[in-house]
Amino acid sequence: MDQEQLIRQIMAQVMATIGSPSAASAPAGGQVTKEQYPLGEKIPNQIKSASGKQLTDFSLEGVVSGALTAEDFRIAPETLEMQAQVAESVNRGAFSRNLRRAAELIAVPDDELLSIYNALRPYRSTKAELYAIADKLESQYGCKINPAFIREAADVYEQRGRLRVD
Amino acid sequence: MDEKTLRSIIEQVLNGLEAKGAAPAAAAPSGTPDYAGGERHIKITETGPAERGSDPREVVIALAPAFGGRLNQTIIGLPHDQVVREICAGIEEEGLKYRFIRLFRTADVGFMAHEAAKLSGSGIGIGVQSRGTTVIHQKDLPPLSNLELFSQAPLVDLGTFRAIGKNAAKYAKGESPAPVPVKNDQMARPKYQAIAALLHIKETELCDPGKKTQALSVTYV
Amino acid sequence: MRSKRFEVLDARPVNQDGFVTEWPEVGLIAMESPNDPKPSLKLVDGKVVEMDGKKREDFDMVDTFIATYGIRLEDAERANAIDSGDLARMLVDFNVPRAEVVKLTTALTPAKLTEVVSKLNVVEMMTAVSKMRARLSPANQCHVTNVKDNPVQLAADAAEAALRGFAEQETTVGIVRYAPFNAISIMVGAQIGRPGILTQCAVEEATELALGMRGFTAYAETVSVYGTEAVFMDGDDTPWSKAFLASCYASRGLKMRFTSGTGSEVQMGYAEGKSMLYLEARCLYITKGAGSQGTQNGSVSCCGVPAAVPSGIRAMLAENLIGMCLDLECASSNDQTFTHSDLRRIARAIMQFAPGTDFICSGYSSVPNYDNMFAGSNWDAEDYDDWCVIQRDLKIDGGLRPVAEEETVVVRNKAAKVIQALYRELGLPEITDAEVEAATYAHGSQDMPDRNVVEDLKAADNVLKRGLTGIDLVKALARAGYEDVAGSVFGMLKQRVSGDYLHTAAILTKDFNVVSAVNYPNDYRGPSTGYQLSDERWAEIKNIRKAIDPESI
Repeated sequence: MDQEQLIRQIMAQVMATIGSPSAASAPAGGQVTKEQYPLGEKIPNQIKSASGKQLTDFSLEGVVSGALTAEDFRIAPETLEMQAQVAESVNRGAFSRNLRRAAELIAVPDDELLSIYNALRPYRSTKAELYAIADKLESQYGCKINPAFIREAADVYEQRGRLRVD
Repeated sequence: MDEKTLRSIIEQVLNGLEAKGAAPAAAAPSGTPDYAGGERHIKITETGPAERGSDPREVVIALAPAFGGRLNQTIIGLPHDQVVREICAGIEEEGLKYRFIRLFRTADVGFMAHEAAKLSGSGIGIGVQSRGTTVIHQKDLPPLSNLELFSQAPLVDLGTFRAIGKNAAKYAKGESPAPVPVKNDQMARPKYQAIAALLHIKETELCDPGKKTQALSVTYV
Repeated sequence: MRSKRFEVLDARPVNQDGFVTEWPEVGLIAMESPNDPKPSLKLVDGKVVEMDGKKREDFDMVDTFIATYGIRLEDAERANAIDSGDLARMLVDFNVPRAEVVKLTTALTPAKLTEVVSKLNVVEMMTAVSKMRARLSPANQCHVTNVKDNPVQLAADAAEAALRGFAEQETTVGIVRYAPFNAISIMVGAQIGRPGILTQCAVEEATELALGMRGFTAYAETVSVYGTEAVFMDGDDTPWSKAFLASCYASRGLKMRFTSGTGSEVQMGYAEGKSMLYLEARCLYITKGAGSQGTQNGSVSCCGVPAAVPSGIRAMLAENLIGMCLDLECASSNDQTFTHSDLRRIARAIMQFAPGTDFICSGYSSVPNYDNMFAGSNWDAEDYDDWCVIQRDLKIDGGLRPVAEEETVVVRNKAAKVIQALYRELGLPEITDAEVEAATYAHGSQDMPDRNVVEDLKAADNVLKRGLTGIDLVKALARAGYEDVAGSVFGMLKQRVSGDYLHTAAILTKDFNVVSAVNYPNDYRGPSTGYQLSDERWAEIKNIRKAIDPESI
């Protein structure tokens, strides 16, 4: 469908019911809600990449010149926290919990993240190995939610006989 | 309902018998093969737990729990002895050896093939389900990935089985063969999916989570 | 002697289909199995001690996960105490707002919600879908594949599909090692048809994540979950590994949804005698509990199984509706061949096509079905005009638009040329002018010259080894003089920094604005409310190729 037409139509509807969209402004030093969403459109000056680059400074020229690299195209924990708050404001608690787990995992390198995922698959790990992964996430990356989640998985796997037996 | 009754019902279904009462009738495409019936031209016996091989010139073939036993034909009626003969001939053409194993922990073709690859001296394995679904695997890949996958069992004919054996052997020799041409038939699902499910139920019923993978001796009779 | 009437009937396409009578003991039953548990819920100190007739100490892994994460416990005791018939009436009563219904349905147990939707007939379910769909406007998704994994054809087909209106595109592979090439082809190709199209490549879970991390895809969908523990094991995952995977995607700013569907458990041999719909409800509670924003469901690749038993097509609509009741984005399948009969094809599709879902097909085959590597879709490239005419006949928005031959040829040609230039810039195997020409005018891979597959596979492997990323693609496109395409691919990559499109039912406009269930929630409240066709959109739908203008005669 032609998104542009759709947008125009929807905008008209929304504005008729809630008034001007400029109700959305920067959060007053606290929670964001659906009013600030989409964050990249309504409060872009408050979004930075994980590497610290301002979203408003992102441009094609920046990529071509090499000022922006692949590392700059990674979401920051603060942004995911804001998105989690948006999700909460529309009563999507489980989704917001996922975003908060994700925020902790941003610091974990790609290869390590893939290997942790694989370690969580059935019959891949011993209980001790899973606990060691949890410990490392805690000590090395400052994770809090994920280690508890992984230890819980290890306990359930043990109970259900889904750990690796050498 | 106990397991025995369940089995007998499945057998009735698969034999195309119209059992009285609540037993289901699979309205199969015309001329449904007699999957469990027919003469057995293959004898498969377990010879103890499967070992990890060290011969880099071998390909290990994993057979699903019901293959050549409770079931005797693929979904399109290819006798299992001929399936095995073709795969082996393909491997032999490349001058390599083969051996057989059977898994009991799972009847999933990806896991079967991966287990075969892990036990194979060359790191290359093949998994074959009774219905004909087949995978060529390599030990360093994730279990549900593969080198080549033949997911549409109704399209796997004897020529394809031979080509699968040949390509597996080529991978084992470190070559990069042109993959066996992929076939696609969008009408395979409407025709066969429900029967494929019945055949797979038959297969998973023989699974035993506690039983170790077995080495097999396969002879033709 | 045979009845001539019956001979004619026997020759009808529908009688080529496989049908099976119900067999509850092995789970070959679509809905309401006598073995399905009766709904129940007991909480002690805010913890579930009994769910759907099972005590906590008897829980398997799936039960434990659902009881811990899947049910909104705050309202659970109140919601589960409401009569299922009353809840069913709330689903169809447009005087009860969606938000109020969701507050209750997200607090029900799987058996309870299954019981609620089972009270509805298909027309009532369609009415409920109109209200319960998450996003205000419906959309559509397509498959872009071919049996040869030809990268030039993939790009051209992706461009055409984008022009035709699909908001999301999905590819997969004939040969797994082609995956990076296929992902790149449709990502770049789609942007040429219409900027802002989300693309994905369906492969093994860890590989799919790796492709996303590199910036070769914008989202993921092949994150399969299952309703019994045994099948989960054969799927090589657990609810915890899948929930962790969901977080992995979000941590890289990538949208994702889970996939499940009726029939997968019986297809994989372990249904525990439960109905397909009840097991699918469990999948959806795992999806919800893991924090996925959405689901692709509606039997999907197992479609032939429920379609073979009574009430199976109804069950597919019911499972979509359960997903929506859990406040999930719903990509509602309609993506797999399940019948030889054109009448059954449309009967199955109208369930989602008429009320509209977040993605009516997931997906529609943008190539002829012989090239569809998901083993064929319920709709393919040869049905494009039928789909557009049905939109016009019923005045409904199925997400597609009629296109002219000239403009289609133009975007296909550009996509083929851009891929040719991109391969040249990246030192990948040559794409010849003959291939560009063939892809421009091709219907399917039968119209394409063969490529050197061995050489392609080596190069695809090398793309991974070299550590190429989406940023390298942007640079190469700019170097090749395609700044507009480079800008669009850049625009897609930039999305992952703000993460707005992670939210429920998000899609992007051609200007990279996000439209999701957060800023455009479905507000249907009865006739003339909710999503309405704009004059412009209706004019577009009306404007099919073959309509004769009376004034021209």
